[in-house]
Amino acid sequence: MRVKVISRSNDEFTRERSQDLQRVFRNFDPNLRPLGKAVEYVRALNAAKLDKIFARPFIGAMDGHLDAVSCMAKNPNYLKGIFSGSMDGDIRLWDIASKRTVCQFPGHQGAVRGLTASTDGRILVSCGTDCTVRLWTVPIPTLEEFYSPGKSSEPLAIYTRQNAFRAVDHQWDGEQFATGGAQVDLWNHNRSLPIKSFEWGTDTILSVKFNPGEPNILATSASDRSITIYDLRLSSPVKKVILMTKTNAIAWNPMEPMNLTAANEDTNCYSFDYRKLGEAKNVHKDHVSAVMDIDYSPTGREFVTGSYDRTVRIFPYNGGHSREIYHTKRMQRVFCVKFSCDAGYVISGSDDTNLRVWKAKASEQLGVVLPREKRKHEYDESLKNRYKHIPEVKRIVRHRHLPKLIFKAGRLRREMIEAAKKKDERRKAHSAPGKVVTKPLRLRRTVKEIE
Amino acid sequence: MVVKKPKNWNSQKPENTRRFIASGKDGRKKPSGPRLPNTMKKVLDRLNTRSPVDSDGEENEVKIDTEENSESVGNDIYEYEEEVAQEELGKNRRFDSVENLNYELPDDFEDEDIPSDDEDTDDDGDKDDQAKTGFNAESEEDLGRHARMLQGITGMPIEAFEGIKKSKGNMVSVTRPESEFNPSHNVLDGDNQITIQDLLDPLQGKAGYNQLRERMHHLEKKSVPIQAPLSKPEKEKVERKVAYAISKKEIRKWEPLVKRNREAPTLYFDEDRDLKYSTVGAIASRVEPRTEFEKKMHSLVSDKKVLEAHANDGTRLLELNMISVEDEKERSDRIAKIRNLLSRHEIKQKHIKKIKSKTYHRLLKKDRLKALSAQMEMDPEAAKEQARKQEFKRAEERLTLKHKNNSKWAKRILKRGLDAQDEGTRAAISEQLQQHETLTRKINSMKDASSSDDSSDGDDEDSADSEQDAALKLIEDAREKTVKVLEVDDAIPSSGVFSLPFMVRGLKKRREAAIEEAKLALEDYEKLSKQMDDSQEASNNSIGVSSGRMTFGVVKPQTENNKREQRFHDDSDTGDDIDVKEDGDNGRQYKENIQIGIRNDSLLFDEDSHAHKDSIFKSFDSTHEDPDDKATYEVSIFASDSWMKMKDGKKNVNEDLSSQKNKVVKSSSHNNHLKELIEESDTESEGQMVDGILSAGPTRPYELPSQAELVRQAFAGDDVEEDFEKDKKEILNEENPEPEKPVFLPGWGEWVDVQKKKGLPSWMLKEHNDAKKKREEALKKRKDACLKHVIISEKVDKKAEKLFTKVLPFPFTSEEAFEQSMRVPLGPEFHPATAINDLIRPEVVKKPGINIKPIKFEEVNPHAKDEDQQDSKQKMTDNKRKRRGGGKVVNKKAR
Repeated sequence: MRVKVISRSNDEFTRERSQDLQRVFRNFDPNLRPLGKAVEYVRALNAAKLDKIFARPFIGAMDGHLDAVSCMAKNPNYLKGIFSGSMDGDIRLWDIASKRTVCQFPGHQGAVRGLTASTDGRILVSCGTDCTVRLWTVPIPTLEEFYSPGKSSEPLAIYTRQNAFRAVDHQWDGEQFATGGAQVDLWNHNRSLPIKSFEWGTDTILSVKFNPGEPNILATSASDRSITIYDLRLSSPVKKVILMTKTNAIAWNPMEPMNLTAANEDTNCYSFDYRKLGEAKNVHKDHVSAVMDIDYSPTGREFVTGSYDRTVRIFPYNGGHSREIYHTKRMQRVFCVKFSCDAGYVISGSDDTNLRVWKAKASEQLGVVLPREKRKHEYDESLKNRYKHIPEVKRIVRHRHLPKLIFKAGRLRREMIEAAKKKDERRKAHSAPGKVVTKPLRLRRTVKEIE
Repeated sequence: MVVKKPKNWNSQKPENTRRFIASGKDGRKKPSGPRLPNTMKKVLDRLNTRSPVDSDGEENEVKIDTEENSESVGNDIYEYEEEVAQEELGKNRRFDSVENLNYELPDDFEDEDIPSDDEDTDDDGDKDDQAKTGFNAESEEDLGRHARMLQGITGMPIEAFEGIKKSKGNMVSVTRPESEFNPSHNVLDGDNQITIQDLLDPLQGKAGYNQLRERMHHLEKKSVPIQAPLSKPEKEKVERKVAYAISKKEIRKWEPLVKRNREAPTLYFDEDRDLKYSTVGAIASRVEPRTEFEKKMHSLVSDKKVLEAHANDGTRLLELNMISVEDEKERSDRIAKIRNLLSRHEIKQKHIKKIKSKTYHRLLKKDRLKALSAQMEMDPEAAKEQARKQEFKRAEERLTLKHKNNSKWAKRILKRGLDAQDEGTRAAISEQLQQHETLTRKINSMKDASSSDDSSDGDDEDSADSEQDAALKLIEDAREKTVKVLEVDDAIPSSGVFSLPFMVRGLKKRREAAIEEAKLALEDYEKLSKQMDDSQEASNNSIGVSSGRMTFGVVKPQTENNKREQRFHDDSDTGDDIDVKEDGDNGRQYKENIQIGIRNDSLLFDEDSHAHKDSIFKSFDSTHEDPDDKATYEVSIFASDSWMKMKDGKKNVNEDLSSQKNKVVKSSSHNNHLKELIEESDTESEGQMVDGILSAGPTRPYELPSQAELVRQAFAGDDVEEDFEKDKKEILNEENPEPEKPVFLPGWGEWVDVQKKKGLPSWMLKEHNDAKKKREEALKKRKDACLKHVIISEKVDKKAEKLFTKVLPFPFTSEEAFEQSMRVPLGPEFHPATAINDLIRPEVVKKPGINIKPIKFEEVNPHAKDEDQQDSKQKMTDNKRKRRGGGKVVNKKAR
């Protein structure tokens, strides 16, 4: 007769250290835990609530400018550095970690309207209403010897043209940068004159953005409500789309080189596909006033917008509504926003002369996160994601306290839209079938495509 | 060569042409089409007129070849143009025919030309040159002279020769090999133009000529002016259009990559970290001591002497490792203190040990025991320990028999006799024995109760009237059982066949009968017991044998004697006790049977089983034959039990029998008998039930009623529709409860006197009416208001509602898919740690503080994707580090 005995080898069950956890054996048979779903639902609910409790997105304000912050640029090579230009011609380099000005770049006579840094982070390009483009060398930070605060820097070069500049952007991994003003100018670091100028139409260019994935493609928006795309390889403009309202800023998706999102004056953002510019792929609506600036997260999965309604919102790249709204009592009209290079923070510059640093995820735990903590966060996150459609969880996750003004403005907007919709429906109901066609918003806002 | 020539001609390589020219001098004669623009023609003419002069002195073939070669190379354009024209017009055939003419005509020509040619210095061998020179020489003047000559000869006017001349002129143009060097006569005629007509003429009669001509006509009629260049904006527009198409095409290369990233469950951005410092040493080298402790450490570590000692053989380290006097003193003090404490404790213990006072020790022991017992009560662990100790002691005692007076001393005393000893010794001996006994007794107590039973039973065996008692007991049992049957059996099976109403009714009837009979039986029992009391004396002679089992052996001899008794013995195979009861009159006989049974016992055991089997069958027969009162009575007592049991009973009968037999063999003790009795009492009913079937059959044969009857009977009692209506009403009332009637409360709402006059206040009534109306409305609105046979519950569980979505969420296409997505829980309680990481991995994995670069292009094979992903999945489970692949975003550092 054979007797079966439970045997455990000592080697396997001996702990290496007395602090080690004992091996625990579990039976994962689902029949033994029939309440798994219920348990997880409650956990998801709790996770959502905890998220609300720990939502403290505001990290700090960086004070120093004397006038409204008009533009910002991030240093692609150095996470902690951010440049900001103000309406009084002041340019500053900030250290985000210490929230202090590291260096100033004085020189502009009028407002600084565009700032950008080269990919290696060595050269800063600024342009402004004083019709100049200025190149600056950026002090290189080292670990031991940090910037001496209050340092100021002399421009590397100054190029003066006839017209004021409104925007500048640097090519990714290249030597070229483009300015927008009366026309689009393409510059090289080493040349005092633009190497190429594009003029299509007579209206002022409001923003210029290079495609980071495909560095030879350039998009601009102009005051003729148009978005124009240029291809530098063919050295010609390529396509123009005219919308019903002006586009204030453009951002390319860094992970999807064919997609760009336009921050529009009509409170919405429109995502376009370069291959099919006739219609917006997605309309991101939530702001209640003009969207002033937009910047994509380096992950390409979300973007941040700053609006004239004094709020900063974060949208998913494929979602119609924002997942987050940031506001403080003292933050005024937001003129520029940037996502940090590690996709962890958002920086906004506003009319109140301050730069503000926010967490990209409001309830994220900063500092060192232990593996078990991390796992817990991940678990909570996936639970919330799983049960996000269940009404209670959805409600908690979506709920935000809004400033009264914005709340009211939003309600008003909704009412107006609702009314228009109702009217449209009635019109449709009282006319011959097929006569009144309602186009979706994606198509409605595009006036025409110009070749 | 002729065939080869156009081929060579086609190829534009200079070498080829050279070779061709070198190899085929005569081949060069092949004419090439004269389709040249007029301006070029003129130039050519000039060249032609000049070329003979050029090549004047050079008769050498090679030289001419080279010259021509150079010329041909220089005039590539011409050749090219000819080429195109040839292809267009398909004149290859014509060349052939012309070639044939070429050979015929020059003779004529030369004959004519030679006299008039002033420049016939050309080499004869070179036909080309000849032709050229000939042709060049043939000027209009020549023709005129010729005409004049003819006139002179014939005396006819010049006009007469016009036709000849003209025809001749035509002939010339046709016969000459056509080339740039041989312009047609039209050229020579002076208008210097080659019309399309000229080109078409030679084709006359060939296939496709008409078509070609028509096309040419058409073209001539509809000549279109060249368009003016596009305006600048227009041009730009076209350019942009093209540029967009190109650029769009260019950007499509990203599609597979983007698609992959979008579909990937997780994107990783945490690769490529540049930590700057790669080793611990590198980091540590920069650390400067800040706190006191760190400074101390630093000063020690970076002490020059220590470093030096380390660098040397290390002997100096010992010297450096000096101990201070204070430290040593402190240490010794500490040790002394501990030692002191220890020694004190020792002394104390010794002192206690030395105390000889018995009282003290007894008290001490008592205390200890008390403490122990208290501990045992409080602490199960201690109790267990104590038990173990006891067990050990017992085991020791059993092994050594220490207290069984085996010691030398004890033996000696016993040898000398206990009486001879003094009091103390005797006491000691007895005490020892006592101790042994206590230990062994404890062993006994540990054993199971059966052994003690044994002994007690053994005592019982001896009692003379055990048999009588047993019989009495049996009767008592039987009575009890009957009473029980009377009391209990009301339970009607709620399911299965027996739950059908007709069955229930049948069972009831039978039960009633059985009860009556049971009452009768009870009376019988009482009688029996009285009789037993009377016949007590007779039982004395049977000692130690009381097993009812034995009666089985007796069955055979008895069958002849008493049919009824036999039946009982056989039928109720196990139920000898019952036999006793039944055979009220035959009490004594029974005893005798037992006695006989004892005698036959050993012999008959083997036969028993057969006998038993036989007896069963026999009994069946007997019951069929004479179903007397007793039989039915027997049966109906237990008839109310289930059919299934009856069947089982049959089986059990045999089994029980065999087992019981064995027991009988083994133990002759009365105890066994009792046990069996208990067992039998279980099987008894079953045995009886066998009878039940058999005996019930003949007395009341059950006839199956017709189907309709069955149905009617089955649903006789219940009115389904009414029940349903009632149910519905209840549910409606529950969901829309009826409003409470206004209660008359004196003084409530109005003054009592007013209330007395007017009754209930109007507002109360109104409220009530409203509530009623509301309820009516609600009932009418219900979905099942018009459906008579349906209840649709409209009760909404608000708590449950929270757990459901109102609409199907966006990405899901079906309810099942949505449910499925939430089916498997994620948590660590439900999955092993290895699986959980994959389940809860976020969509984007990034590390704080790491710059994420924009996408870099890489080739993605969209078709090999699936495998890739599978691979990556496996990798994910395999190795955490190797998890890239599902959605990798290459985030290389820009260089």
